[in-house]
Amino acid sequence: MAFLAHRNVACRLALLALVAIHVQGQPPIPDEYQVKAAFLFNFAKFVEWPAATFKGPEDPLAICVLGQDPFGTMLEDVVRHKTVLNRTFVIREVSNVQQAMTCQIVFVSASERKRFRAILDGFKGHSILTVGEAEDFTANGGIINFKLKDARVRIEIDAAAADRAGLRISSKLLSLAEIAKR
Amino acid sequence: MTNNRARGPNRRSVGRGAWILALIVSASPNTWAQKSKDLDLAQASLEDLMNMQVTSVSKRSQKLSSAGAAAYVITQDDIRRSGMTNIPDLLRMVPGVDVARINANTWAISIRGFNYRYSTKVLVLIDGRTVYTPGFSGVYWDEQDVPLEDIDRIEVIRGPGGTVWGANAVNGVINIITKKATDTQGGLASLGTGSEDNARALVQYGGKLGKGSYRAFGNYFNVANGQLANGSDSADGWHAIHGGFRSDWDLSQQDTLTVQGDLFGTSEGQTVTTLFSNQLPAFHTLTDKVAVGSGNILGRWGHTFSNGSETTLQVYYDRVRRLDEASLDTLNTGDVDFQYHFQIGSRQDVLAGAGYRLTDHNISPGYEITFGTGHRRDSLYSTFLQDQIQLTNSLALTVGSKFEHNDYTGFEFEPSAQLVWTPSDRQTVWTSAARAIRQPSWFDAESKLDVATFPLQGNGFGLVQLNGSLASKAETLLDFEAGYRIQASKQLSLDASVFRSRYSRIQTLEPATPYFTFNPPPPHLVAPSYWSNLARAHDYGVEFSANWNVTSRWRLSPGFSFLQMKILMDPSSHDTSTAASVGDSPKHQAQLRSTFNLPHNLEWDTLAYYVGALGIGPVGSYTRLDTRIGWRFKEGVDFSVAGQNLLRPLHFEFLDGLQVNPTQAERSVVGRVTWRF
Repeated sequence: MAFLAHRNVACRLALLALVAIHVQGQPPIPDEYQVKAAFLFNFAKFVEWPAATFKGPEDPLAICVLGQDPFGTMLEDVVRHKTVLNRTFVIREVSNVQQAMTCQIVFVSASERKRFRAILDGFKGHSILTVGEAEDFTANGGIINFKLKDARVRIEIDAAAADRAGLRISSKLLSLAEIAKR
Repeated sequence: MTNNRARGPNRRSVGRGAWILALIVSASPNTWAQKSKDLDLAQASLEDLMNMQVTSVSKRSQKLSSAGAAAYVITQDDIRRSGMTNIPDLLRMVPGVDVARINANTWAISIRGFNYRYSTKVLVLIDGRTVYTPGFSGVYWDEQDVPLEDIDRIEVIRGPGGTVWGANAVNGVINIITKKATDTQGGLASLGTGSEDNARALVQYGGKLGKGSYRAFGNYFNVANGQLANGSDSADGWHAIHGGFRSDWDLSQQDTLTVQGDLFGTSEGQTVTTLFSNQLPAFHTLTDKVAVGSGNILGRWGHTFSNGSETTLQVYYDRVRRLDEASLDTLNTGDVDFQYHFQIGSRQDVLAGAGYRLTDHNISPGYEITFGTGHRRDSLYSTFLQDQIQLTNSLALTVGSKFEHNDYTGFEFEPSAQLVWTPSDRQTVWTSAARAIRQPSWFDAESKLDVATFPLQGNGFGLVQLNGSLASKAETLLDFEAGYRIQASKQLSLDASVFRSRYSRIQTLEPATPYFTFNPPPPHLVAPSYWSNLARAHDYGVEFSANWNVTSRWRLSPGFSFLQMKILMDPSSHDTSTAASVGDSPKHQAQLRSTFNLPHNLEWDTLAYYVGALGIGPVGSYTRLDTRIGWRFKEGVDFSVAGQNLLRPLHFEFLDGLQVNPTQAERSVVGRVTWRF
C-alpha cells in the first residue's frame, strides 16, 4: 500500500475523531438489572425497618441475593460510597433462607421459582423486605415484585404483607406502585 | 483475457466522506453544548426509574445456559467491543465455528468441519427468515447485511437442530436476532472508515406510532479490493446499500405484532478463472461483475392465552436476484410458519409447529454452468412436536421430531432427545442424540458444470463435466453429544462439549463412461461425473469456552476447539476428491478475547484467533490479532479505532474458491464514531 493511502486513512480517522468531539448525544439505555439495582437501593430510602432490626445506628444495611444472581456487579456499582440515614450498604449472595436472615432486603431470584412458597414462608415473622421478579411472587407471600412493561420496570407491592413483616413503606413509594392482587 | 485493475468507487471516497461528516456536524443543534448527563442511577428519583427505558439482555441469554445443546451467544456488547465490521468476522469468536475469507466479498463458513464456499450443513436465519440458498446449498454471506448496532444477539448452536429448524440444520444453526424497535428509540448515526473498509455509514431513527414502535434505517458500505497471489489487486472491492425497518406493536394485552422488511443492493467484483462452455477448451481469467438486489417482508403475530400457552404465526416473502459469473439467479420464497407452545400439567412443556414454504427459482446459464430447464418450483411441508418433560426437580428430558416433505427426496424425519441435569443453579450437565439431514440442492439434482479440459493424445481435448443427479439423496447425520456448564464463581464460568458424529450418504462424485460429442463445437470427448452419495464420515471433537473476570475491569474469554474427521468411501465409489475434503477444515482452533475497561470511559479490547493449517491449498496455520480502543467521548457519543490482522501484512485463509480467485486478508485499521441522539 502506498504511503499516500496511509495518509488518506489517517486523515479520515482524524475527521471521525473530530466528529466525535463535536456531536452531542443522549445517554445509553441502561440494562434492566441496572435499573432494578437502583430500585433496590431506593427501597432502603423509602422503607422503614423496626429499630430492633439493626444492632447499632451505623450498622450497615444488607441487600442479599438469594439464588442465581442476575446483577453481576451492578448492585455493588449502585451502592458504592452511598449511605442512607448514615448506614452504608453490604451486598451478599446467599443460597438459603438461614443465610438470608441477617439481611434487610432479600432479592429472591427467579431461579428459585419452584421454592417460592417455602422460601417466603421461611421469612414469616421477620422484618425482611422480600423482592422478586416473577408473576406468582406476591401470591406466594412476597412483598415487592418487579414487572417489565413497555420496556420499563414497574413495581407491585403487597402492602398487607409488608405490614405483617413490620415494615413501613412510605406513601410515596406506594403511590407509584401497583397494588398486588391476592 | 483481461486483468482489470479498475478500482471502481474504492479508495477515493475521502472527499465525499468529509462532506457527509461536515453536514452531520453542522446539523447537530447543540453542537457545543457541554451538558454531560451522567448515568448514575443511584441519583435517579423513583419517578425517573419508572420511566427509564431498559434493555433486558441478561435474562434472555440466561435461558440458553440451561439448554441441552452446545450453544454460544454473541451479545451486542461482544459485537461492539470486537471492532469487527461484518457478520462473518464476528462469528470467529465462537469456538468450533470456522470462518475463512476467500476474497473481500466471499467467505467459507462452517461448524464442525465440511467447510467450503458453499458450506452445506449450517442453517442461517435472520429474525426467523432462512437465508440458506436451495440453489447451491449454502449461504451467500455478501447478501446478508444487518446493521451491527441493531443486532440483539447471535445465537450459534453447534450440532444438529433439525427437530425444530428442519433440513440443513445438520452441523449447526446460526440465528441472527435483531433488537425490538422499542429498544432502538431515538436517532443513531454511525460513520466508519479505514484502510480496507473505505466507508461505512448508518443512519437510523426509531419512534412511536400509536401502540407500537418502529425504526427505519439506511446503511451504506464500501470495501476495498484485495490482493491476489501474484501481488496485483483483484476487483473484489464492493459497495452495498441497504434500507430497512422493523416495527413492534402491542395490539392488546395478549397480542403482539412484528412487521419488518429490507431492500438491499450490492455491486461487487471478483477475479474468476473459468471455462466458457461455448468456447472450449481454453480457461479464461477475467474480472467478473457480481450484482445483488434483494428484498423481504416479514410479519409475526404472537398471542398469549389466559392459561399461559402461546401461539406464533410468521409469514414472509423474500426475493433475491443475483448476477454471478454471468448467471442470473432469481429466487422467490414464500414461507408460513405456525408454532404453539403450551404446558400439560406442571411437568410438561410442549412446542409444536407446522410450516409451508414455496420457492420459485430461475437460474440462467452462466459461463460454464446450466441448471436443468432453468426453472424450478418446490414445496416444503413440515411439522414438528417437541416435549420437555421435567422428570425430577433437577432432571429434564426433551424428546421430539420434525417431519418434512420436500420435492427432492420426499419424506424426511429428524428426531432428537436431550437429557439435562441441573444439580444446582450453577451447573448444567447435558447429553443428546439427534438425527439431521441435508436436503439435496438444485445443483445436486440438475446442474451441468464444465470444470476442466485436458489434451488428448494426438489431437483434440477432453472435458471434465460434473452433472447433477435426480437420484441425489439427503446426507444424514446421527449425532451424540454431551456437555457441562458451570458458573464456578462470580469470576469464572466454563462451558465444554464433546460430540461424536456419524454421517451417512455423504455426497461423492462418481465418474461415468466418457463419450464423444459434436455439440457444442469443436468435437470433443466428455468425461462426465455424477453427484452421488457413496461416502460416510466419522467425526468427533471437543469445544470449550470460558469467561474469567480477572478484576472488575478486566475480562478474559478463552475458547478452544478440536475436530477429527474421517471420511470412509463406499467400496463401490470411484470418487477421488471427497476424501480430501477433510483438509478443508482446521483440526485446531483457539480464541482469546480480552476486554479492559480503563478509566476516563476508555475501553481496550484485544482478540487473538488461532486457526490450524488446512490440507487444501495448502494454507498454513495463522493467528489473527486485532486490538481496539474505544472512547465514550460523552454520553451517547462513542469513538473507536481498531487494528485488524496485525501480525501479518497479508495472508490467505482459504484457497479453494472454485472459479473465484482468492485474495489475501490485509493488515488494516478502521475507525468509527457512533452518535445516539
